[in-house]
Amino acid sequence: MIAANVMTKEVITLGPDSTMLEALRIIKGKEVRQIPVIDRAGKVEGVITPRKLFKGILPPYVVEGMLEDVKFAPELPEFVENIKRLAKKGVEDVLEKDFVAVTPETSTMEVATLFFNPAKHTEAILVLGPDKKLLGIISPWDVFRRILEHYNGL
Amino acid sequence: METNLLIALAVFVAVYALLIWDKINRAVVALLGASALVLLGVLNQEAAVRGIDFNTLGLLIAMMAIVTISQKTGMFQYLAIRAAKMVKGNPWWILVALSVVTASVSALLDNVTTVLLTVPITFLLTDELELDPYPFLVAQVLSSNIGGTATLIGDPPNIMIGSAVGLTFMDFVYNVGVIVPAVLAGTLIPMYFLYGKKMKVSDELKRRIMAFNENEAITDKGLLAKCLIVLAITIGAFIFQKPLHLEAATIGLFGAAVLMLIAKEDVHHVMEKAEWTSIFFFLGLFVVVHSLVEVGLIGSLAQKTLDLTGGDMKVAGMTILWVSAIASAFIDNIPFVATMIPLLKGMAPGLGGPDAILPLWWALSLGACLGGNGTLIGASANVVVAGMAAKNGHPISFMKFTYVAFPLMLISIVISTVYMWLRYFAG
Repeated sequence: MIAANVMTKEVITLGPDSTMLEALRIIKGKEVRQIPVIDRAGKVEGVITPRKLFKGILPPYVVEGMLEDVKFAPELPEFVENIKRLAKKGVEDVLEKDFVAVTPETSTMEVATLFFNPAKHTEAILVLGPDKKLLGIISPWDVFRRILEHYNGL
Repeated sequence: METNLLIALAVFVAVYALLIWDKINRAVVALLGASALVLLGVLNQEAAVRGIDFNTLGLLIAMMAIVTISQKTGMFQYLAIRAAKMVKGNPWWILVALSVVTASVSALLDNVTTVLLTVPITFLLTDELELDPYPFLVAQVLSSNIGGTATLIGDPPNIMIGSAVGLTFMDFVYNVGVIVPAVLAGTLIPMYFLYGKKMKVSDELKRRIMAFNENEAITDKGLLAKCLIVLAITIGAFIFQKPLHLEAATIGLFGAAVLMLIAKEDVHHVMEKAEWTSIFFFLGLFVVVHSLVEVGLIGSLAQKTLDLTGGDMKVAGMTILWVSAIASAFIDNIPFVATMIPLLKGMAPGLGGPDAILPLWWALSLGACLGGNGTLIGASANVVVAGMAAKNGHPISFMKFTYVAFPLMLISIVISTVYMWLRYFAG
C-alpha cells in the first residue's frame, strides 16, 4: 500500500500573503492538523503547525524547556496580548519550513514510521508530487484506518 | 633556563589573550597551552601533573554530580515560589526574597545552576505580576555571585584558594561569609531606590501569586528526601572539616558517591552532565600557571610586588582586594585567581609567613568573587542569565547592565574594604 491510497486530497491551504488571523480562523472552525502554505506556483513553502502557534503565544521559558512543568502555577499569565500580536503576523513569518513530506509512492509502513520518529514529532505528513506540488495530506489515523482494513473483527 | 622562562611567559600570555578574545573554547585554550609547555620541554609530564590541583577538580566534579541529581527534585523551584508567597506577592519583597534564595543556594551550589533553575520562575512571577523582569534578573545575577562568595564551595575561586592554602569551609564562613549579608543588603538597598519604589501591583495580580502551589513543584518526594539527607551530611562534614582533618574533595566525592548509590538515578547520565569543559579548563590552567612557578617567574614577580608594597600588609591587602575586583569584572576570575595563588604564596615569607598573610587570601576571595558583578561578562552566571533573558524577549545590554552593576560592585568592595580594615588591619 502506498501514500497515494491513504492521503486526503482536499487540503485546506493558505497563500503566502495570508495573515495569521486567517490561519487562526481556520483552526477555530475546522479540524485541521497542519495548514500547508502554498506559493503562487503551487509549491509548498511550509506548514502552520500547533507547535509553532504555541511557541507564538506561550512564553519561551515554558516552550523552550527552561521549566520542566508548570503544575505549581494554577493558571499561566493571560496571553491575549500575545494572540493579538500573533494574529497580526503574516503566515510567512510563522510557518514551519522543516516539515515532513513523502512522495505518493512512499509505502504506508514508511509513513507510519515517520509518525513515530521522535526527532520529527509531526502531527501530519504532506504528500508532494514533482516540483514540491501538494497532492494530499496524511494524518496518523489515515494510516491506522488503512491497517484496520486487514482486520475483520470490527 | 632563560629560554624556558621566555617560552613559559609567552604561552601564559597567549593563553590569557585567547581567553580574553573568547572565540575558542576555554578548555581547548588551556589544554593547548598546557600541552605546548610539555612539548616545548618547559615541563616534563610528571612536573605538569604535579601542578594540577586534584582536590579542586574532585570537589568541582562532586558538586556537579550532587547538583545534577538534586535539581531533578524541583526543590529550587519550590524555594523560589515559597519565598514569593511568604512576602504576600509584594513585588519589591519578591525581588528581595528571590535574591536571598538565590544567594543562599549559590553559597552551597554553583552559581550557574542556581540561576538556571530559579530564573525561569522569575519570568513566570513577573509575567503574572505584569512587571518588567529586568530588575529581578539583575538582582538575581548579583546575589548569585554575592552568595557564592560566602563559602568554600560557593564559587570556584574559593575552592581554588581553600585547596591551595588549606583553608576549610568554616574558615571561609568566619572570614568571608560573615560580611556577605551586609554586601547583599548594600546591593539591594540602592536597587530599592532605583527600581523598588516604582513597583506597583494590584491586589488581584498578587492573588495570582498566592494561588501558586509550591508543593506541586516537588517532582519526586523520595528523591528529595535522599538528596536532603546527603546534602545535610555533606554540609555537616564541611562544617567539621577541621576537626575531621578531611580535604574538601574527600567530603564532596563521598557525598556524591553515596547519593549516586541511593538515588538510583542513571549514573551514566549523572556523569555525562558534569561540565567536563570546565574541569579540563582548570586542569590545563593549573599546568600553565605551574610552569610559571617552575621557571622561577612567579618567585621574582612576588619579590618585585613585595618591594612595591614595601612589605606592608595593609597596602598589600587593599591592593589585592581592589585589583582583583576590577580585573574580575572584565576577565574570568578563575585564571586570575590561579595566577594570584602562587604569587601570594611567594610573597608569604616577606610578609611574616603563611599565617600572617591569611587576610590576603580573604582579600583575594572577596575581590575575585564580588568583582564578577561589575559587568555582564564578569562571571558565568551573568552570561547565562543574559542568554536566558534574550531568549525570553528581554535582552540585557552590556552597557545598561554595567551602568547599574559596576557602581553596585564598587559599593560591595567599599563594604569589604571597611570590613577588612576593621577586622584585620586596624590597630
